Amino acid sequence: MEVEEKLALLNYKTDPSYAHITVKPSICDVCPDHFCTFACPAKCYQLIEGKLNFKYEDCVECGTCIIACSHDSVTWTNPKGGQGIKYKFG
Amino acid sequence: MSDFDFIVVGAGPAGSSAAIRLATAGSSVLLVERADPPGSKAVSGGILWGRDLDGLIPDWEKSAPVERYIDFKSTSFLTRDSKISIDFRSKKFEEKKTGYSVLRAKLDQFLALKAKAAGATLVTGITVDSLARKENRIVGVVQDGDTITSDAVILAEGANPRVAIESGLREPLRDRDCAIGIKQIVKLSEATVNERFNLTGNSGYAGEFALGYLEGGVRAGGFLYTNKDSLSIGVVIAMENLRANGSTYSYDIMEKFMEHPYVKPLVEGGRVQEYSAHLVPEGGIDSMPKLFGDGYLIAGDSASMTFSNGMIIQGMNYAIASGAMAADSLLEAAKKKDFSGAALSSYQDRLEHSQVLMDLRKFRGIDKVTWSRLVHEVAPGMMENILFSMFYEDGNPKKHLAEIILGSLSKANMKRSELIMETYRMLRRM
Repeated sequence: MEVEEKLALLNYKTDPSYAHITVKPSICDVCPDHFCTFACPAKCYQLIEGKLNFKYEDCVECGTCIIACSHDSVTWTNPKGGQGIKYKFG
Repeated sequence: MSDFDFIVVGAGPAGSSAAIRLATAGSSVLLVERADPPGSKAVSGGILWGRDLDGLIPDWEKSAPVERYIDFKSTSFLTRDSKISIDFRSKKFEEKKTGYSVLRAKLDQFLALKAKAAGATLVTGITVDSLARKENRIVGVVQDGDTITSDAVILAEGANPRVAIESGLREPLRDRDCAIGIKQIVKLSEATVNERFNLTGNSGYAGEFALGYLEGGVRAGGFLYTNKDSLSIGVVIAMENLRANGSTYSYDIMEKFMEHPYVKPLVEGGRVQEYSAHLVPEGGIDSMPKLFGDGYLIAGDSASMTFSNGMIIQGMNYAIASGAMAADSLLEAAKKKDFSGAALSSYQDRLEHSQVLMDLRKFRGIDKVTWSRLVHEVAPGMMENILFSMFYEDGNPKKHLAEIILGSLSKANMKRSELIMETYRMLRRM
């Protein structure tokens, strides 16, 4: 089963006006390892044609990426107003 | 005059336990949770061990939404082709129940509502942005520009404690402090769960696995727990080794576990209901922040209070216990109206005399065993060789067990002296 299919099972209340995680393209563009793409369980970080593509909408708020990124590119804040992932089982 | 006597950030097992204790004692408590409803952002390994809820909710075993009590505990080493297990089942657990499988979306909501029923003010869907300070002491929380004040704050944010970190009350997390947890809920019928795991009634299975077949130095443990009519199955991946490997995707390890020849039949035909991920605090006492200061206390996962020796994984029990002890320390401080770090140091004393810090001190460095090359790469292969040699009848004269073991030692991918040292270290630390 692909991660995309698994993520499709989840409920999110996405905040369109606030990205709770941001990355700095100036750092990611020259990153030698892109470990975020291997570590993130929700495939939010992907290399597309050699360029890092990040989307916060699929984030399950685990916090892996802020540890994974050893280049200080990731800024991680909690989503606001009960938005973000909504697990039914946990 | 403060808005509340106390504010608790986070309505998980630690925060709600603290709030229950504080509110029951008559304090005014604000329990603030960013998820709505509570538990909808929580993920647990899955087993609530121990009896720490006894002192908070006397009838919890009847009233709490637990799934199954554990009477079947298993620890397994998996290689590509084999599974080597130590199983322990006992009827004794039927009378002396000690572990329950739980689903956090249900459990956390139950605990938060208990806090509310005890008199705490529960607000959900509210994210605390930062802590309010006066001089150097914590005097409340800030949410969306508004300050809500209290005599003291308990930080019980869970494994990714943004407020504690951003406030400088704990160091940012590093590779050694956390592992990556990934979990799936697999739906099966209750009858199928019972049949596959040889369970009856409300009894349950809890299995931990060393995944000795991962390639490229990647190290991960697996877990598989039975809920009433589903399975909680997941992996816990060491960040450091995944980083060193540099070409394995965390989510593929979950699939590799599900597809192991002796795991697959257990989940076969099940429908994945949920996929989730969460940090798992590791490192124990070495990852622990200072637990108290002027106007604040830190409890549960936010303070790295988890224990794993590979055979058992605990955290929710420490969260509940530490939350209750944080509350007790605040109630004691309230008598003297002194919420300074010196007064709140009684929290540390309580923890030191409890299972929480006694366990974590005693088993300091256990993570070096559970994540070792011995456990993940060498031992599973060796055991497989030994057992296969014992049980494979090829018509040749049989060997003594000692000969078989010595033979497998020479085939082990580790120097004999190193193997002996590592084994000794493992036994000492366990």
